Amino acid sequence: MRTSTSLPHIAPNQNGDVHTTNAVTERPKKPVQFLIMALHRLSLRLRQTVTQTRALHGSGRGQQLGSAAVEPELPVRSEHAIFRTTEGDPAHHSEQHLGQHYTLPPATVRTLFPQGLPPRFQLQVKTFNECSVMVREPAVEIISHLKRADYSKPAIRYLLYGERGTGKSLSLCHALNYCSNQGWVILHVPDAHLWVKNCSELLPSSFHSSRFDQPIQAVQWLRNFRVTNEHFLSKIKTTRRYVWNKRESTEEGQTLREIVEHGLSRVKNSSDVVGVVLRELRLQAGGPASSAGGPEEEKVEEGQGRFRLAVAVDGTNALWGQTTLKKEDKTPIAPEELTLAYNLKKMLKNDWCGGAIIAALSKTGSLFTPSSAYLPQELLGEEGFVSLEPFLPVPVPVYDEKEFESCYQYYIDRNWLQHEQSRTEEGKKEVIFLSNRNPAVLERLCASL
Amino acid sequence: MMAASTASTAILSLCRKSRHLMGFQTPNYVYTRVTYSTALSANTSKSNKGFPGRGNKGPSKRISKRENGEPRTERMAVDQDWTSVYPTAAPFKHATVPLPVRMGYPVKRGVPPEKKGNLELVKIPNFLHLTPAAIKKHCEALKPFCTEWPQALDSDAKCEEFFPIRLQSKDFVFAGTSLRNPQARVVTLTVKLSSLNLDDHAQKKLIKLVGERYNRDTDVLTLTAERCPLRKQNQDYAMYLLTVLYHESWKIEAWEEEKTLADMEEYSWEDSLSQRNVMDSLLRMRGAETGEAEGGARAELLASAEVQAYGESVSRIKNEGESESSVLQYREAVKRMLNL
Repeated sequence: MRTSTSLPHIAPNQNGDVHTTNAVTERPKKPVQFLIMALHRLSLRLRQTVTQTRALHGSGRGQQLGSAAVEPELPVRSEHAIFRTTEGDPAHHSEQHLGQHYTLPPATVRTLFPQGLPPRFQLQVKTFNECSVMVREPAVEIISHLKRADYSKPAIRYLLYGERGTGKSLSLCHALNYCSNQGWVILHVPDAHLWVKNCSELLPSSFHSSRFDQPIQAVQWLRNFRVTNEHFLSKIKTTRRYVWNKRESTEEGQTLREIVEHGLSRVKNSSDVVGVVLRELRLQAGGPASSAGGPEEEKVEEGQGRFRLAVAVDGTNALWGQTTLKKEDKTPIAPEELTLAYNLKKMLKNDWCGGAIIAALSKTGSLFTPSSAYLPQELLGEEGFVSLEPFLPVPVPVYDEKEFESCYQYYIDRNWLQHEQSRTEEGKKEVIFLSNRNPAVLERLCASL
Repeated sequence: MMAASTASTAILSLCRKSRHLMGFQTPNYVYTRVTYSTALSANTSKSNKGFPGRGNKGPSKRISKRENGEPRTERMAVDQDWTSVYPTAAPFKHATVPLPVRMGYPVKRGVPPEKKGNLELVKIPNFLHLTPAAIKKHCEALKPFCTEWPQALDSDAKCEEFFPIRLQSKDFVFAGTSLRNPQARVVTLTVKLSSLNLDDHAQKKLIKLVGERYNRDTDVLTLTAERCPLRKQNQDYAMYLLTVLYHESWKIEAWEEEKTLADMEEYSWEDSLSQRNVMDSLLRMRGAETGEAEGGARAELLASAEVQAYGESVSRIKNEGESESSVLQYREAVKRMLNL
């Protein structure tokens, strides 16, 4: 208390005047009681302000706290805590790891998910200074299917569905981490909803007059794609000649990198470039003679043309239904008329081999759907349901007891729960009651505790 | 006004007479004529004359009133025929009813006023003419006009089987100047659709044509006719409607060929887009086969239990609406079909 008086803080004294505390201490004639009362008030105020500086996801204050929190934590980092697993490779994740967190190295996160993680989780990664993902049933199930699948056959479609905030996108990312560890080409669309709304630049396509290009979204996607699949860009060669305009064209046998670079430099063609990239990947995935089904080594040796492709689309339901985009004559644009959505839909057909299609539904950000909808047909609509058939629906439930306990312990370990009541049994019960064990709600609740 | 349909059904149940008209069971209608003579004969114009007018002067000439004799109840025999004392509906007469009834507000902590000159007893309806003995007599009188109930129709199920069409109407009995009630003309025809000779197309078309008149849960079609002034006319019209509906639903019009999947009453997985998609992808998974081999493989696949189970699960999602359990069933079906 005594130290706090030295802080320049404004406190009103008994007379109602406002003085700085320094001024109060400098006045010797002031009766002692007054001084004590003023100090008492000051300490009350200070206590308030201290509790308020506890950052949520604030911008300025959060950084302060983050930098302050990370330094002391690193030595006491609980590597062998019960809620953590040291198994960093998703390929080895099995039932015994359920409910435990595994940590992705920052380099992987940077290359694999340049912008692919859900935004709230990105903030959490930034705050905790580590990317820890809980191993959960849906992701483990998909990974086990991916391991056992026969890649000489058409790709199998997996569809993650579940109520809002249950972790569909993170399960998708977990499965993608497996694919990238296995050396697959990753084709990740973090949120397809962004392609069907709020498009600032919409150009009529030069390739097909009835379609529309979205250069900004295309460039953004190409950039992420380049970061994620740096390794493959020079290995994959084009199978035909592409003419961009009168002067520019890409010959057959060029690397994919050149096409991607072309798309990044010529923004006008970027949407068509995305289409070309998708087409090349689709045609070449699994190799030209897919029915032969050669052994693994042969594929690796051959180098080009033999690769596996993971198509991951979050917010798949955006590709069917309505968009908010309008043509010049104010008529709405259907998703088929958007070059990006049109080409992505082709990727979701299972007429290509040597890969897998992992899709996740998303109510968040979807257009013209009731807020309670979460089941596949409700979100996809009749048309979308039929065009995805047959797919394997993978339900993503809310946390069970074990997973909740694990997440709770993780937050405590990260010093994320600081309220004195939050660590008690009563407090925990209240958190369970308020969140109903929904991961996203839990995360939001704990942000203020 | 008093709706006495309950009363008339009671009579109906006692004298069950069936008339078979055109092969349909028609309820027998008994018109019961009930009249109340509500006008009180106490204030006749003659007796009014006896009272002095307000402006009259001088003593009025009073006609001496005839002495009332002792009430009739005193002279009644104990075993008299009550039905002839009250043969029809009539207001309460204190001198005729040999019962010590009292009714009304008890003055000064006394007892309710006695029956003599008691208006309260006159106001309320009575059933003195509907004693069990009277009803028994009614039925005896009606019996010669009834025919015997057919022996073969000994159960409700058999009645329904042989006479599937039911016609219902209401009779009203009330005290008024007219015996007619506008509601009496309404005729309701009910029939179970399963008892009509319809094929799948005709049944669906009939259901579409009748709209909300068909109850899906009980499979009963209800037609109500009330547009004609007479019951007979309405009855004929209801039968006409049924006939027309029946024949119309058997017709196949040219435009019915244009019926698309969206117009279907229920989702059928056979020959649907979903089936085609699934068969295509399954065939692709098996490897490319051409020509007759493909056709054979397709038929073989279609007949397999896994594909059939898949079809069922898709139909369930489409027909019953999507729910957690139907999606899980779909999931299991896909797993088995794709060998996951």
